[in-house]
This record gives sequence, structure tokens and C-alpha cells, in this order.
Amino acid sequence: MKQGFELEANSGKRILVFRPSVSVGSQSTGGMFEPNAEWTETAKSNIQVALTDLQARLGNEVIVAPEAYGEDALVVEEHMALFAAVSQAVIDYQFFVGNRLPTKKRDNKADVFDWSLGDGVSDLPGADQADYGLFIFNKDAYGSTGRKILQVVALLGPGVAVKSGEHVGYAGLIDLRTGDLLWLNADAAMGGDVREVDGSEKRVRQLLEDFPGSDIGEE
Amino acid sequence: MNARFFRGGALAVFMSLACAMTPANAHKLRETGQTFVVADSDVTVTPSRDWNRLNGKVGKRTETWTLDGEQLNDITFFGGIRAGDPLVKERSKKHEPLPKFTSSTLLVEVPELLEGTYRTYKELAAFRLLSVEPGSFLGSEGVYFTYEFTDVDQLTRKGEARAAIIEGRLYMVTFDAPRLHYFDRTVADFRTLVDTAKLR
Amino acid sequence: MSRISWLTAICATIFASTTPLNAEPAPAPPPFAGFYQPQGVDEIGWWREDDESERRLAASPLVIRDEKLSGYLKEVLCRAVGDDRCNATRIYVMREPTFNATMSFNGTMRVFSGLLLRMRNEAELAAVLGHEFGHFESRHGLNRFKAARTGTDVLAWGALLASMGPSYDTRRTYQSMEISVYGNLYRYGRDHEREADLLGLGYLNKSSLAPQAASHVWQNLMGEIEASAVAKGLKKPKFNAIAFTASHPPHGERAAYLTALASPDSSTRDYGAQRYGETLAEWLPTFLDDQIKLNDFGGSEYIIANLAKDGWTATLWNARGELYRTRGNQRDLVHAVQFYSNAIALDDSLAIAHRGLGLSLFKTGERTRGQQALARYLELAPDSDDAKMIQMMLPQETPL
Repeated sequence: MKQGFELEANSGKRILVFRPSVSVGSQSTGGMFEPNAEWTETAKSNIQVALTDLQARLGNEVIVAPEAYGEDALVVEEHMALFAAVSQAVIDYQFFVGNRLPTKKRDNKADVFDWSLGDGVSDLPGADQADYGLFIFNKDAYGSTGRKILQVVALLGPGVAVKSGEHVGYAGLIDLRTGDLLWLNADAAMGGDVREVDGSEKRVRQLLEDFPGSDIGEE
Repeated sequence: MNARFFRGGALAVFMSLACAMTPANAHKLRETGQTFVVADSDVTVTPSRDWNRLNGKVGKRTETWTLDGEQLNDITFFGGIRAGDPLVKERSKKHEPLPKFTSSTLLVEVPELLEGTYRTYKELAAFRLLSVEPGSFLGSEGVYFTYEFTDVDQLTRKGEARAAIIEGRLYMVTFDAPRLHYFDRTVADFRTLVDTAKLR
Repeated sequence: MSRISWLTAICATIFASTTPLNAEPAPAPPPFAGFYQPQGVDEIGWWREDDESERRLAASPLVIRDEKLSGYLKEVLCRAVGDDRCNATRIYVMREPTFNATMSFNGTMRVFSGLLLRMRNEAELAAVLGHEFGHFESRHGLNRFKAARTGTDVLAWGALLASMGPSYDTRRTYQSMEISVYGNLYRYGRDHEREADLLGLGYLNKSSLAPQAASHVWQNLMGEIEASAVAKGLKKPKFNAIAFTASHPPHGERAAYLTALASPDSSTRDYGAQRYGETLAEWLPTFLDDQIKLNDFGGSEYIIANLAKDGWTATLWNARGELYRTRGNQRDLVHAVQFYSNAIALDDSLAIAHRGLGLSLFKTGERTRGQQALARYLELAPDSDDAKMIQMMLPQETPL
């Protein structure tokens, strides 16, 4: 969490939620078929349910980011990819004690948390109507990332045990004027199978634990 | 180019963590004002701001520095690659060979060598060289070049590099960073750093 | 006829035959049942239930946004599988150098540029797209069909047509085969492959294109894999010895079988070679370059030679020159000089051929001739991104 950042419940701040990047089991490019489209649909709607919940608890106004088309869509997508990279860097080099970069170690001592997406975020669709942006990135790659493919066994149908590869989830709150990362929750080994309602809730709960101003983590 | 070169699989994450867990192997600070040898070679640099040196290597005679993590800014030094060698360590010499620096490689071909290395290793087609110009490096005639590519994590990065061939060996420094925000943020620091590079 | 009973009927037909070579021509496909629709209504109303991944795909930096190209692919798909099916599909061309095409549940098809490079004509492209489509279409019935199947072995073939893109993990698994470089193979059960292929061939039989092209794709890919292995000093892959291919016939037999499945009166049909060549002409130099820069000498040689069967062009000679110059040993450089010269003989305005020639001459010690070629390159392409660097290699004018 960025130093000096507090988000009070019912503070009247508006949070812009970007379409969560949710992919379950396959990647958006280079994936042969996407038999897990069903799973992804389920996961998405489950996450949406959990987010609605969040809105109710926070009492902050949560706005859905408007649809982006054409060039705008490309820019949003690039920001999402950057968000994933920044989150991974935060995990690798600030969260993991044994792996900290020396300059970040000093930051930690001084209680500095200095990560950013850059002020280009202020031009994202919908950014002019909100103070903060919530980015959610959830990837359950059963095997690999990016262009990589599902473990073949997954394609034989639901119910077949799938060898787990990577599970990464990040939820981050960004200051929409500066692009500064105000708060990040990330877990590279999350529990919960997002395909199940309980699993999704657990996953979103984990992601949104300690969300500033909420009481989600305490339940 | 460092651990991110391997990044893209669960394996990569574990690799970068595993080799960094013990304090003895922790990443090292490179502080302002001191002169450091890089890449186990006869090249030294004198930073004017603090940097982190990552403890993993992408190949023999390489070294990577970063501010925020190689995903976000990555300066890689190549300290005298020998003829017959690839730029980075091959996954398998026989099955997945990388292009080699040879005794007949021309300076103007060095950008293509980097391009071929990235494209082969990461299986990319989305890579383009943007500019290739003469300039001096390590006190010798060198080549300055820039490029852009979309990596396996779907993020588009820009790159800038300087290289020279001295006594039959290739010396080079590359800087890769996401084109969104991060490249512009650190490129000036990169140039300042490379300007201090000297051959002992 | 419902899908299950249709599939069962097909299998009955197959089981009835004594050997694969006696198989009947693949039958016409059933009426199209439409694509997967997400189940459940989004009552919450946050985002519409579109396919998330297609939205992201459309915004991906890897999509080649060329309407002429994607429009053409759509046309070919329509010729292959008919309008019902193709109009429900959206095709994206990806700037990815490997041989792959994929299809998602809701009708999103991705075709990799590496695949387009390897197709010689429309019929081959249609065979692959049709096979993809067939694989995908039969999946819905497959799960249900799994329960009902007889369990008898069915010869499966053409798995290579349903190749997956490479991944770091699966590539290592297949390293001994070298197929990893060309896309990995689905370990579908033989029955599944069989159904997909039948459907795929079924489409083609009904179409205006020559279904025999399916076997050519297979042959070419095998040839490429072998050439790649040989150039690396590896043993030729024994396609029979490897687990997945144990369920597939060796390629000679397969080619014959594929031919048998093609309806007999179709062999005089159109291959669409000219149409394909013309449409791809604009992109060919780029896709060739992408391939050469993957550092697979044998595979790239094979692809270039294959393309040259229709005649050597300046582009092809130049590509071969680049290939040899990149590997760069002294013998290679001598060859490269020849290849670039051949390109220039066919098209003197091809600037990069002059560049390649110049550099290769330098590297074989012929500086003066090299400088002449580089000077010509600069004449033709004064604004190229390396012009200043090349300029430095020319005799410098002395100040007056």
C-alpha cells in the first residue's frame, strides 16, 4: 500500500472498475480452441457477483468502465498488460523478502511504495469520471502463459483433472491522475477454483482482502 | 533481458525466485559514484544513481541491472562475446540453436543478431528495428540502434542499445522497457550510464 | 438426424470396412447447429456476456489488421465449409511465425502468419481451416459420443493439421521429435481425430476445392520437420515410433487414405494456387523474413524451396540469401552472394538484395564490389533505418 493512502468507506470517492481480465485455462492468443470458455464465463459472472458485493460493502461509488473500441481498446489492453507486469514486479521484488531489490529494500524501510502505471491512465475511457481505477487480473493458466497452450488433457472435457500450472491474481487500485499504484493485492498461489461459485468468491475475497476502507478481509 | 527472457512460464517464476532466496545470492546494490566491473569482463561503468544488479544471468559474460524489476526496466551488459557463441545461453544447443556471433559479423549486422536472438528464443514475429546509426562505444567505432517488440507477456517494449566489436569480441549494452511510461522514464539514466562505460 | 446418431452411423460405416483404404468418401456434414452460447443470463448487468478473450484478442498488438487479408481468408473458409458456418465465424490473422490455427467455442478463429507462409494454395488452406472447423464442430457431440462409442480402434490421421502453437512446456516434451518447433499435437483419442477429419473432409468434398490438398499439407509439414532435423545433425524423426503417431498411420499410408476419403470426382477441382499467391504476395516477404529469423536453417530452406516450385522470384532468392548470410560461414557467404545476385537479376530495384549482396561481399573479402552493391542499396533506399551506418562503409569523400 502506498504510504499515506487511506480510503475511507463512504468517502465519496469514485472507483472505476476496468473489465476484469479473467482467463481460465487458456490464453487470449495462441490458444487452441478454448474449451474453457464455459469455465471462463462462469468465473466471470462469479467475480461480478463478488464485485457487486464489494460495492455494497464499501459504500464508495463503483463505476463500470465504458466499453472501449478501436484505438482506445488497444490502449486499455496495453495498460492491463502493463498492470500485470508491474504487479509481478511488485511480488518478485518487494513482497518476497528473500528476493528484494536493494533499492526497494530501502524503500520498504522508509515505508515507501513507489510503483506506477504512468499518467497515461488519465486518458483511459471513463477515467475522467472517477478518482481511482480498479484493475483485476486473474489468470489460471493450466500449463503456461501468453501464447502457450492448455495442457492437452484439459481438452478431454470437464471433470478431467487438469495439471495446474500458474495461478496468478492481482487486484490493484490506481490513482487515475498520476497512475500511481495505491494498493495491490497479489497472490501467485491462490486457492479457490474460480470455476465454482465458492471458488470465485474465495478468489475475489482474497484479491480484495484489505481493500482500503472495507471490512472484507475480516470475515 | 535477464530472467524475463525465461519468463513466461511457471518455471520461470520459480527460477527467478529459487536462485534468489539465500542472502548470499541476493541482488546487489550498485551505488552512485563507484566504479563497477560488469559481466565478468574488462568493462566498467560508474553509475550516477543507484541501481540493482540482478543475480541471475542470461548467458556467459552478461549482467543485468534494473530499477524496478526486469519486467519494467532491463539493462543488460554483454562483456565480450566470442566468435562462435550466441548472445544468451541456449535452451538446447542441438534442438534450439540461437544465431551466433561470428568472426565475420559486421558491426552493421549486430542489430540483426540481437533481433534474431529475441525472435528465435521467444518465437516472436512482432519485432522491428527502428534505427541503426554509427556512434562511439567504449572508445571505438560502434553502432547505436533502437527497436520495438511485443513479448510473450503481450506487453510491447522498446529497446535501445550500443555495441562495438573490439579485437574480435562483441561488447554491447541493451535497455528494454515497456513503451508505456517505463521506457521514457529511464532512458536518460541508461544513456548516462552507458556514457561512462570504459574498457580497462 | 441428431448429431449423436449421425456420428454413430459414420463409425458403423467405418467399422464395417476391412481396411482403411477401403473407406468410403467422407460424407456430407450435418446441418449447422450454431456456436456455443454462454449459459445463463447476466442479471447483475456489469458487462455484457461477450467472449472476454475475443475482446482482448481484437485489442491485441499481435493481430494483423489488414482487411484484404482477413477478408480473403473468410472467403476461403466459406468456400471450404459453406456460408452457414463461415458467417458465424470471425477470423483474426496473428503475427506469429509458427504453423497454427485455432478455433474457440464461440466461433473465433485465429490463423497464424506462419501457417499462411506454409500453404501453397487455397485448397491447402481450406483443408486446414476446414479441419479446424470440423474438430471444433464435432466436439459438442464428442463428449456425449464418448459415452456411446464402441471402443473399437479407429484409424486417426491428420492430427498434425490440428496442431497447437508451441509452448515452452510442451515443446520440451516433444523435443526429440522436433515437431515441437512446428506446433504441438493434440493427443486426441483416435476417435475424436477421426470425427474431426471426417467432417473436415466432408466439407471439402462438398466444396468447390480439391480435398486432395489435405494430404499435401501433411506431406509438406513432415518434409519440413525432417529437413529441420537433418540440418541440425539430428536423426530424422521416426514418426511411427512416437506415442501419438502410434495411433496414426505412417504418412505414406495416410496420404493414400486421405486421397481415398476424398470423393473421386473431385481431383480435377480447383486448387486456387494463383488466387492464393496473389493475395499473399504483399505479405510474403514479411512472413518469410519472420521464418528465417527463427534460426531453423533446414526448415527455412525447405519452405523456400517449396515455394520456389512455382518458380523462383526475386523475393525467394533474396530470402535464401538472407538465410545463408545469417548462418554466415564462409561457404554460406559464397552461396549468399550468388543468391542475392540472382534476386537482383530478376529485380534490380529490390534494395535489400543489394544490401545483402554488399554485406556478403564484404565478408568474403571483396570490399570494392561490396561497396558498389551498398552504394546501389543507398541509391534505392536512401531513407532506410540503417542508411547512415551503411554510408560509413563506403569510401569516405575527402574534404576539399
